[in-house]
Amino acid sequence: MTMAVVEIESLAKSYRVYQKAEGLAASVAGLFHRKYRTVEAVRGIDLTVEAGEFVAFLGPNGAGKTTTLKLLSGVINPTSGTARVLGHVPWRRENAYRRRFALVMGQKNQLWWDLPAAESFRLHQQIYRIDPAEFDRTRDELTGMLAIRNLLSQPVRELSLGERMKMELTAALLHKPDVLFLDEPTIGLDVVAQYKIQDFLKHYQRERGITTLLTSHYMKDVAALCRRVVIITHGRIMFDGSLAQIVDRFGGHKVITLLFADGHIPGDLGVYGEVISEEPPRAKVRVDRGDVTATLGRILQQHPVVDVNVEDPPLEEMIAEVFSQVDESAGKDGELVVGRGG
Amino acid sequence: MPSGPSYLRVFLTFARNSLVRNMTFRGNFLIETFSSMSWVFMNLGFYILVFQHTPRIGDVSNWGEYSFAWGKYEFFLFLSTTLMVNSLVQALFMENASEFGEMIRTGTLDFALLKPIDTQFLISLQRIDWSSLGNLVVGIGLAVFSLHKIGWVPSVWQVLLFMLFVICGVAIMYSLMIALAATSIWLGRNQSLYNFWFYITNFSRYPMEIYRGTYGTPLRMFFTFIIPVLVVVNVPARFLVRPLVPQTPMDLLLPVFAFVATVASLVGSRWVFNRSLLSYRSASS
Repeated sequence: MTMAVVEIESLAKSYRVYQKAEGLAASVAGLFHRKYRTVEAVRGIDLTVEAGEFVAFLGPNGAGKTTTLKLLSGVINPTSGTARVLGHVPWRRENAYRRRFALVMGQKNQLWWDLPAAESFRLHQQIYRIDPAEFDRTRDELTGMLAIRNLLSQPVRELSLGERMKMELTAALLHKPDVLFLDEPTIGLDVVAQYKIQDFLKHYQRERGITTLLTSHYMKDVAALCRRVVIITHGRIMFDGSLAQIVDRFGGHKVITLLFADGHIPGDLGVYGEVISEEPPRAKVRVDRGDVTATLGRILQQHPVVDVNVEDPPLEEMIAEVFSQVDESAGKDGELVVGRGG
Repeated sequence: MPSGPSYLRVFLTFARNSLVRNMTFRGNFLIETFSSMSWVFMNLGFYILVFQHTPRIGDVSNWGEYSFAWGKYEFFLFLSTTLMVNSLVQALFMENASEFGEMIRTGTLDFALLKPIDTQFLISLQRIDWSSLGNLVVGIGLAVFSLHKIGWVPSVWQVLLFMLFVICGVAIMYSLMIALAATSIWLGRNQSLYNFWFYITNFSRYPMEIYRGTYGTPLRMFFTFIIPVLVVVNVPARFLVRPLVPQTPMDLLLPVFAFVATVASLVGSRWVFNRSLLSYRSASS
């Protein structure tokens, strides 16, 4: 039997935000009487993650993914609800818990900017009280896998974004955490660096069986790493399952690519489905999933086609569709509750 | 599993890393050291001017057992105490307190909260501004020089008590500073730290004997019992200047009060600090 590492129940977090009106007069008025609105970042999430799982949080900006990771890291306190990670309540910030997990954020860095990363690592060794021999071994292993060993003595500010991110990952993993939270670890990186970090995470996670929660906007990260996907929008979980299930549930159509023998694209292609692109001799048509065989049969009868390719639409497109579907339904009950305060 | 980190070793690593960092920007380091030292010497010049007009500050006759008259070199001892307290506070805590506000504003406080170590310790000491320690040396030099001029050799006990109450003074100043910095969690931004520092040290850097009369007495009360900055320099300085015996009741009570005030300040600031973390919102991303 597997063990639940993360257990979340009706977890909610809301913020009160000062609503600043435009203009000088309004700003002055704002000194005396302020309007606030309540932003409900997370609105009651239930989730269980088992040991060794690699779970992706997907969702548009402001959906509550990062807030959830921050709650699980104990960085912020929830408004209501409970959560346990490795049996600890995160926001109690017990050292016993803090020694067992790590958080990596693509947008924030923790290494000393003006010092070589090696110095920051040394500090981690002392704060986490890592045995010196073990520390050396772990550091060499991580920096070897990430191919950054030769950069250890360069000030962090002189590293490229990708190199810095690799250093951040190393710093976070030095104490061999059992749980890893990754908040957009590949943001802003070029394709090569993205791939290398994905590859590293994949191997590292598999080898150590470390429970990992990842948020990312890059579908490639998710497809490469996670078997389980949790879609969060407007602070709620809208989907929890595998990528394949997303395709089944939300991929309502397939894309048929046709290569015409005479290089001429027939004008009546629109009757079979929505024409996405026409680049003679190729054309792409979007067709409902259930009608693929029938439609394809008709096209092949009518037109001189030399090659056919049927595929699912790109994952990005499908996810965007999920988000927008959810948007429409959630738009009614309103994302924001407007209130007043003094 | 090892229990907790060795705080001393972590502190020494902070100190070492800060020194490496300070040395990286050598020019900046030298200019900072130089400018804060010249500020000290200008101050010293100012007080030399003052003592051209009066032989002493404070008067024995009107105030009975409470008062003490500070002659020129006694006052320089007082001034050297101010220097030592200030330079210690600035070297250890000033940069950290303002960095704390910045961490709140930008959300990088996240990382401090993740570490298996006391958060207040981490926040308060992770950067040490070595350039501010120049004034500690100047302060010690000025103290030795003044004692020599007076022809007074303090006893070992006096020096030990002096050091103890310098540490208390530093702790009081630190408490005020970290509590003020913590308010940026609620305010979003609090840039008044340096101003505050200037206002407060302004009041603490004179002997309490000058606070008298209808305006002075309330000030003295306020800055002794509400915001106890008057004891920060006055208490250790008195230990250095005057023999331990004979003592007046006030000479005994004031240090006891200073000690209590130190403990209260530390406890109070820790409470404010922990309260503020509950409201931390972790900006951006």
